Amino acid sequence: MTRETALWRRLIGARARGQVAYPVSFLLQLFSTSLLFFVELAVVALMFRQVDRLGGWRLAEVAFLYGLSAVAIGVALCLGSGLVAFPDQIRQGGFDQVLTRPASAFVQVLAADLRLDRLGRVLNGLIVFGYALVVLDVEWTAGRLLYLPVVVVSAAVVFGALFVLEATLCFWTTQGLEVVNAFTFGGATLSQYPLHLFDGWLRRLFLFAIPVGLVIYAPSLYLLDKHDPLGLPGWLRFTAPLVSALFAAVAGSLWRVGVRHYRSTGS
Amino acid sequence: MGSGDGGEPMVVARGLGKTYRVATHRGGALGALRGLVDRSGRDVRAVDGVSFTVDRGEMVGYVGPNGAGKSTTIKMLTGILVPSDGEATVDGLVPWRQRKALAARIGVVFGQRSQLWWDLALVESLDLLRHVYRVPKDRFAINLAGLRDLLDLDPFLATPVRQLSLGQRMRGDLAAALLHDPAILYLDEPTIGLDVVAKARVREMLARLNRERGVTVLLTTHDLADVEHLCRRMIVIDRGRLLFDGAIDELRRRFGPHRTLVIDLEDGDPAPAAGPFCPGVDWVRADGPRRWLRFDRDAVPAADLIAAVAARHRVRDLTIEEPAIEDIVRRIYTEGMGTP
Repeated sequence: MTRETALWRRLIGARARGQVAYPVSFLLQLFSTSLLFFVELAVVALMFRQVDRLGGWRLAEVAFLYGLSAVAIGVALCLGSGLVAFPDQIRQGGFDQVLTRPASAFVQVLAADLRLDRLGRVLNGLIVFGYALVVLDVEWTAGRLLYLPVVVVSAAVVFGALFVLEATLCFWTTQGLEVVNAFTFGGATLSQYPLHLFDGWLRRLFLFAIPVGLVIYAPSLYLLDKHDPLGLPGWLRFTAPLVSALFAAVAGSLWRVGVRHYRSTGS
Repeated sequence: MGSGDGGEPMVVARGLGKTYRVATHRGGALGALRGLVDRSGRDVRAVDGVSFTVDRGEMVGYVGPNGAGKSTTIKMLTGILVPSDGEATVDGLVPWRQRKALAARIGVVFGQRSQLWWDLALVESLDLLRHVYRVPKDRFAINLAGLRDLLDLDPFLATPVRQLSLGQRMRGDLAAALLHDPAILYLDEPTIGLDVVAKARVREMLARLNRERGVTVLLTTHDLADVEHLCRRMIVIDRGRLLFDGAIDELRRRFGPHRTLVIDLEDGDPAPAAGPFCPGVDWVRADGPRRWLRFDRDAVPAADLIAAVAARHRVRDLTIEEPAIEDIVRRIYTEGMGTP
């Protein structure tokens, strides 16, 4: 395991070096990617010119959710670049090459690409998150301070696992499935708003099947000390690390099933 | 345990077969989704009970038309694919059961797809592969020095891979596949897309590799000139079945019995363009002062024929042409293995 981690670091490091070789162009790219998402944010801000609150949440509170979600997605998108590029890799026969090497197939796929410009999304999230923290009067108890980084990592893991699941589907279908993006990027967009704004089945889907709600919305209720209009059990606010670990384990098992399927069909 | 370097062949395939299930295609996203659940379709027998062995140090051409089952066979022998039936060992290991262990002992070059990192210098790519294959540092230094010499890498070792010519890239890929001292090298279309000069260069390097280092090579190609230049033995496969396995000379004897004597005549010689010359020998073609005489290799000794021609005609120059392997193999594909 440690050997594979070391290999991942080395492969990803080589990819990163190529991209920061031209620092000016890299920084420009980073900022332009970041700027792109402020348009998304402008929509939210415009909404708040009409209404004071969204489902009982103020602008800064929604900004808190948005920032949390954007940082997590940005990290997952960047470190999971290889998974996002997997449909192309498998179509061009690159996965065959992966299987002829004496290292973990997953590590090789993960490290096959690294798009550092996707950190622009993280930058964007951090700025929004910073704004929220300045405006909001969060009472930073020790519990909240400790839980916040755990929540960020858990959310990034859940998004990463979603990308694993999306990549896994490629073992069965060579055509890219646009439908799947509804779950990944749909889930990402949805997680930027208070979950109780949404309809029942959508809510349940993104709480219990694709648990973005359990790692972003539910912990935020605790972090921001908000009332829960859904009446979810209070302990659900603290399950983010457990939920993300379980979801990642499920994604990992399905990935292994996918590899086995690929090796028996070669499709 | 593991491989004995002794008498056991490098590759043993016995009754190797692979059946694919080809799904009936549906359009659109919904069709793709349905394809996930509904596995109906028809079975395609890509490889149908293929048996052969490859000895250590041998260089064997594995040829067949597109879709014959070449790459499916290679995928089973590298551990990528699990066969539907049959058995195989490579260097004493069962490829699909001991994939990772085998991966450390084989080198694979896909001519159509580089395994080098596009945006890194060649030498950096090779260094990354050193970690993938866990090659000790001193071993790596020795191997790289040898490969730099064999493949003449020095002129472009520091060049980013995306800037390499196709021929240079292929040499880089060969180096990448050889860094960890593989016992066997699988080459899949190693000269595809190369110009004549680069092709000749790569072939010469492959021949040296096999001759000087004793690396076993299984060469898959549709360019039979590769096989003609490099291999003494070839395996021909079509529609999943093995059609021929033996020496290339043997293939010629069995399926290409006719050789051709090409003669350049002095001006004004009245040799005909077509018609019989003597039993077993015919004029078959003319082009200016050049004539083609086709003769049966078993019935007519070449020396006798040359003497007979020189006695009747004024000959300026002559050469003997063997039937091109390409023509012979094409005939095997179309006419099967019946009497030639």
